[in-house]
Amino acid sequence: MGNFLSIVQLIEIMVLISYLNPFSSEGEEIVREKGSIEGIFEVNPELLQLVRDSKSQNISDDSYIPKNYADLALKRVEWYLRRKNDKKYNHNDYAFLINPKIAKFDVISIYTMAQAIGIKFNPKSREGRLLVESQGKLVEDRLEKLVPIERKEVVNNLLNQMITQDNIKWTSMSQLLGSKKINLTDMILDQGDVVLEKEDFLIRFEDKIEGRLPEKMYDLLIGEKIKEMIISRMIMQKTENYIHKVHEMAPKIEAHPTLLEIGEQISEKIKELSYFPGSGGSGGFGGDIKATQLQHEAFPPCIQKTIEGVGSGNRNDAIVLLLTSFLSYARLYPSVFRNEGTSKISDIDPDLQITINEIIPLIFEAANNCNPPLFDDDPQEKLNVIAKLGFGVNKDPELKHEGESKWYTPMSCDKIKIHLSSLCKPDATCKKIGNPLSYYNRKRWELRNSGDKTPSKSSESDSDTD
Amino acid sequence: MTHIFEPSTLEERRRYYRDEWDINDLPDFIRKDLSKREFGFDHLGRGPNDRYRVFKTPDMLKRFMRYRSPFAAYCSVAFYNKPRKRGEWLKSELVFDVDAKDVPVRSCGCDSVCEICLDEARQIVAGLIDTLKQDLGLKNIHVIYSGRGYHIRILDESAMGLDSEGRSQVLKYVAGAEPPKNKYFMEDESGQKPYELEHFSIPLGYPAVFTKRIKYAILHMNGTEKMEEVNPKLMKDVLKYREMVQKDEWGLFKNKIGPIRYRNLVEGISKLNMGLVDAKVSIDLKRILRMPTSLHSKVSMRCMEVKNIETFDPLKEAVPKFVNERKGY
Ligand code: SF4
Ligand SMILES: [Zn+2]
Repeated sequence: MGNFLSIVQLIEIMVLISYLNPFSSEGEEIVREKGSIEGIFEVNPELLQLVRDSKSQNISDDSYIPKNYADLALKRVEWYLRRKNDKKYNHNDYAFLINPKIAKFDVISIYTMAQAIGIKFNPKSREGRLLVESQGKLVEDRLEKLVPIERKEVVNNLLNQMITQDNIKWTSMSQLLGSKKINLTDMILDQGDVVLEKEDFLIRFEDKIEGRLPEKMYDLLIGEKIKEMIISRMIMQKTENYIHKVHEMAPKIEAHPTLLEIGEQISEKIKELSYFPGSGGSGGFGGDIKATQLQHEAFPPCIQKTIEGVGSGNRNDAIVLLLTSFLSYARLYPSVFRNEGTSKISDIDPDLQITINEIIPLIFEAANNCNPPLFDDDPQEKLNVIAKLGFGVNKDPELKHEGESKWYTPMSCDKIKIHLSSLCKPDATCKKIGNPLSYYNRKRWELRNSGDKTPSKSSESDSDTD
Repeated sequence: MTHIFEPSTLEERRRYYRDEWDINDLPDFIRKDLSKREFGFDHLGRGPNDRYRVFKTPDMLKRFMRYRSPFAAYCSVAFYNKPRKRGEWLKSELVFDVDAKDVPVRSCGCDSVCEICLDEARQIVAGLIDTLKQDLGLKNIHVIYSGRGYHIRILDESAMGLDSEGRSQVLKYVAGAEPPKNKYFMEDESGQKPYELEHFSIPLGYPAVFTKRIKYAILHMNGTEKMEEVNPKLMKDVLKYREMVQKDEWGLFKNKIGPIRYRNLVEGISKLNMGLVDAKVSIDLKRILRMPTSLHSKVSMRCMEVKNIETFDPLKEAVPKFVNERKGY
């Protein structure tokens, strides 16, 4: 009878639900009860006690202990960034986050964060992305720490709550597919349903499987891990949607100063913790912000190929769309994807000297390497290059025309694979990035840290300095 | 000898739209909500420049076609509240475009289209539809012969709201354009070595789809296909041992090829498979596609709905009468 849960355990499951999914009705209940913005900065003795009581929690210093809801929110940011980027990260500094009893505080802090971010930033800002990603990671870490029987039970409960139909249709996950949180090919599909349960799997496929135990096949292909993945991704999506909702309503209501304050603090925290020397690199938080000399050895394969010259098929797009945006951002504003809002070239290159003397010559040279040379065939593509730099359809970049068009950002690897597929020859670094510009940032960072102390030998750029 | 696949003259177009074409052949899925689609036309054979057209009723479309006899006619996969401005987008058909000329593995090796690659395109389409039904559970699927290949047009409501990324994921799934995993982990055994399990040992889900697509590719290759991961020696061996694939003796085949080279082959073919379908068409929510019943003037073929893809023969069913009446035939 060991498989049945006692009443006490059932109550614990209820607690666990809000611990894992703050957007569940259990979570909403907590917000209704205690969700007053007023006490956010007040020392909360109950929270202090809970943190101290958390198993293996490091309490050697007061700074390890969040004292109020706002502190807790910042601790979550800190936890996520250090876990990701800091080699010296120690889980025991944040053991309280993996204590199910934290739920009633945690729920309040995540709603507070989501509101603060939704009001101050947009859902795709790095603050927004951080909250969404960290929530997903937290769900994974928290599930991992549960005892197997609880884990199974709570996973089924969460799934049942989030998915109302009997069978999950893959089309009901369109948002998760669209935001690439889930790959369709990782799912076992049959007749439009996402197959998750063992019984269901056996009924559908038992007859087809030969030479292997169908049960084992289920465990390998699906098992709890696919369910848990779906859960964590759905909760990420819910977090994102919530920020979105707040963001849409924000202009219509007056923001509470406390929320603005917290938004500010989150943003500061991210800046403070974004770069950890000696860490294994990050998916978009480290790296330098300043304009620096181009480092050709850090160009991704697709750009190298473009510079060598492209055949007539892909030629125009490769130069006008890909290379122009890549070189200009790599030289002037490599961190564009990490920051908010749009910018102009003249914000960074006020007299356009770098643009005119360094960037454009490189683009034109590559255009000449094409077969046949691009501007021989299509002289008006010169104007399009200038337009993609943000200076409208003109012969030269001039400040008075700036803003007539948009400074075009480099297209993603996915787009390149579709529109310029012959240029994409991915190498090992490509596996870790989604945009040639991120490749460049990452590779520069790797080169810096690989002991190869040859900062931009600038072999190619010699020519344009004299 | 035959005058097939040759461009039609203005005179022939006029005859086609006067004598052969019937608005009643327009498939119901186009006729319904006709006024919510955008139409586009190519009058001179230089691309569809006449766009943003809207027809309130089939009758108005009929008059336009009769009167203008366009070189080519298109309509949007999208439905709009304001089609004249492409405004207030509502939803778009999910489409897959298989052009015989662009199929990455063609045994004919011709440089345009011929009977052989047209039929290979047909087989590919049949395979894609099978997966769309069996795995993805889609039901409202229409196949259109486009004149040089096929359009699969899906009108299931649940799929018409997908965004570009979602569509690209469906494309990868049905085309077999992602290398399948070959290592799997057991539950509750973290730290354990992963189990090796190749796609061909898994008779369901995406791995089974991939097995069908790679089998097709291996059996239809002619050795000239270019794959980064596959060098000439490997290509030679694949051709040498492909009979085993024909007999579904995958284990033997993999043994002959060797595990590392087999992985290379899988990667290479998955990339090739990306070209089975024109991805640009699938991810474009506002695309216009050749209108069924219209004439593909470049090759003088009728664009038409295919009722049974298993038996469809374009050279019997899609050749307009005027082609057979051409002088010297
Ligand atoms: S994966 Fe991205 S960065 Fe790498 S070659 Fe392809 S397009 Fe370029
Ligand atoms: Zn052919």
